Amino acid sequence: MSAPSPASAVQSALARDKLGTLSLLHFSLTAATPLTVIAGGVVVMFAVAGQIGIPLGYVIIAVSLWLFSVGYTAMARHIANAGAMYAFVARGLGRVPGVAAAWVAATSYCALQASLYGLLGFTAQGLIARAGLDLPWWVWALVAWALVGLLGTRAVDINAKVLAVLLTVEVAVILMFSASNFANAADGLSFGAFAPTALSGEAAGAVLALAVIGFIGFESPTVYGEEARDRKRTVARATLATIGVLAFVYIASSWSIITAVGDDQVVAAATGDLDLMFTLAGEQLGSAWVTIGQVLLLTSVTAAALSFHNTTARYLFALGREQVLFTWLGRTSVRTCAPVAASVTQTVAGGLVLVLWAVLELDPVVHLFYYLGTASGIGLIALILTCAVAVLVYFARDRRDESAWSARIAPVLAVLAMAGVLYLSVLHFHTLLGVEKGSLLPKLVPIVFAALALLGAAWGLFLKRARPEVYAGIGHGAKAPLVQAAERAAVPVGAAGER
Amino acid sequence: MPDAPTPRLVYDAFLITAYHDFYKPAVAPRVIGLGLGAALLAELVFSGHLAVRSHEGRDLVLSEPRGGPPRDSLGLWLTELVQGEPEHLAVPDWLEYLAIADTQTKTAEHMVVAGLMVRGEQRSRWLGKVQVTYDAADALIAQAPLARLRRYLSTMDRRMPLLDAFLLALTEAVGLSKSLYSQMPSGAREYAEGHLRVLPAPLQAIRGHLTAAVADTAITGNL
Repeated sequence: MSAPSPASAVQSALARDKLGTLSLLHFSLTAATPLTVIAGGVVVMFAVAGQIGIPLGYVIIAVSLWLFSVGYTAMARHIANAGAMYAFVARGLGRVPGVAAAWVAATSYCALQASLYGLLGFTAQGLIARAGLDLPWWVWALVAWALVGLLGTRAVDINAKVLAVLLTVEVAVILMFSASNFANAADGLSFGAFAPTALSGEAAGAVLALAVIGFIGFESPTVYGEEARDRKRTVARATLATIGVLAFVYIASSWSIITAVGDDQVVAAATGDLDLMFTLAGEQLGSAWVTIGQVLLLTSVTAAALSFHNTTARYLFALGREQVLFTWLGRTSVRTCAPVAASVTQTVAGGLVLVLWAVLELDPVVHLFYYLGTASGIGLIALILTCAVAVLVYFARDRRDESAWSARIAPVLAVLAMAGVLYLSVLHFHTLLGVEKGSLLPKLVPIVFAALALLGAAWGLFLKRARPEVYAGIGHGAKAPLVQAAERAAVPVGAAGER
Repeated sequence: MPDAPTPRLVYDAFLITAYHDFYKPAVAPRVIGLGLGAALLAELVFSGHLAVRSHEGRDLVLSEPRGGPPRDSLGLWLTELVQGEPEHLAVPDWLEYLAIADTQTKTAEHMVVAGLMVRGEQRSRWLGKVQVTYDAADALIAQAPLARLRRYLSTMDRRMPLLDAFLLALTEAVGLSKSLYSQMPSGAREYAEGHLRVLPAPLQAIRGHLTAAVADTAITGNL
């Protein structure tokens, strides 16, 4: 009988330090801020779309993203730098499309983060004006901007703790408001919101685009792939759980608003009162809950701004480390190891947007939050679609022992679903912006993203020709220097050998 | 400023990463652990007790049977761990392990015995907990490793010893380039790059994985 192999002390210690599904779920849910989506987005979706099919829109997007996540998490098991979608594009479709995707991704996240300052300034202005201090929206937006900028350059674990507390309180309040709405139904429980006819016409794409933005953050568990307890299962479970939890919260709360107001009245009620969710809570639970809800919305939007700030900073940091963008973006803070140069760059970009909007006296909600936020949504949907295509192509070359469902069927369905969402979003983008069909603005946004992608691709081609060692590291993120060093060391006489 | 060399690479790495003074901050705790782990690995590779070999795209750490075991307990601890593993582990795994295995305290205790650090205890006024602190026995000696590297960079008149070249690579990798290159003459970076480019492959591998691990720390925020 053979003796059992001795246990590895080092591997046991490393395994104890690994992250489980709940830890990854915690990270990804703190990247999403549900109260911002519900109070800041869902009510507006009723008003903009003029339809009650918002819960159905969330069901469709949840299913589409679930299909996408099957192939996405399967591919994450096989590549380095699995936290960034452009890395998937680089490995699946090539480095040149990877750089194009990186440029679109960085711009989209940057714009989405800046757009939140509009909602934040507007909410703070209304709330604090009631306390007797009436200042312009941009003053409060700048205060939040400074806070986010400061926290962004600090150790990220401080941010994670702040976000975790806010998330817990938010979800508890949302569920309480939703339960109260269901308990105070206007016409009993209605399933009309889930009928196919509830989501149709010129507004369907607008609803789907806004619904996608609510789920952004679902992709973050892959960032921790190398630290996951079981790389094969933990990341996939956490991603799926993130989509499931967010879908439950969004569907339940949007359905509860319809139930409380009534199928026929909810669009008019939302159009007349963008604080509908809090108004309902005030009527049902007492006026104090209006203030509590608005204060929480304020902290939620701040948390969302902080979360997207960190996401954008990490994108820029990884691109700096790869030398795809300016190398100085890859600098870290000595004391905290936070990506300080990328964080400051994002802060400066957000500040410029705020100052520009304030000087031009543009509306913080319509022109900043909706226009910039929904425009970034188009970029992010295009990014997810490109990533879905990259997953499909990657596994078409080699299935790498993945199941047919993970490597073939789900990626094909995900490409079809996300292509449909992108098509409808671009087609109905004028509804989202509230402008006439055929006007310039809705056309301008896809053109800007296409131009960015082309410029990124051109830069990728330049790197391929002029700096091949940098080109070799594209998509490898933190590990790019290793790949670049190997590329520099590669000599034609086949000197690879043993070290 | 005195230029008395401290006896070991890992001690120099400790003084550079964990010791803070007016001229240089200490780096983040996890990065200190990664840096000390890299220094200890490099030290044992340099002394011939360990080897780093590339196998199927992974840089594996192996025990070298040649010669006797390391004479100090810190080196012996790591060498025995490497020998005790049923399978060869890669450099990133060892860096990760050494970062969580409190290498900082182990190194500091060694430096106390060597007379380079002084152990102290501070009682928290509110919590009543006792916190162990390690201070440099001589502030000037504590500054010596960085001063030595900066002197190479400022004069550029002689070739850096291999271990100092690795120490320079480590200082860059943990994010202390500013402290290293501040007010250096033009050409200092090229001089440094010339030394780093010719580091032996095992040390290059450790350097590359240390740089990647520090960047991973920045991306995941796992401090």
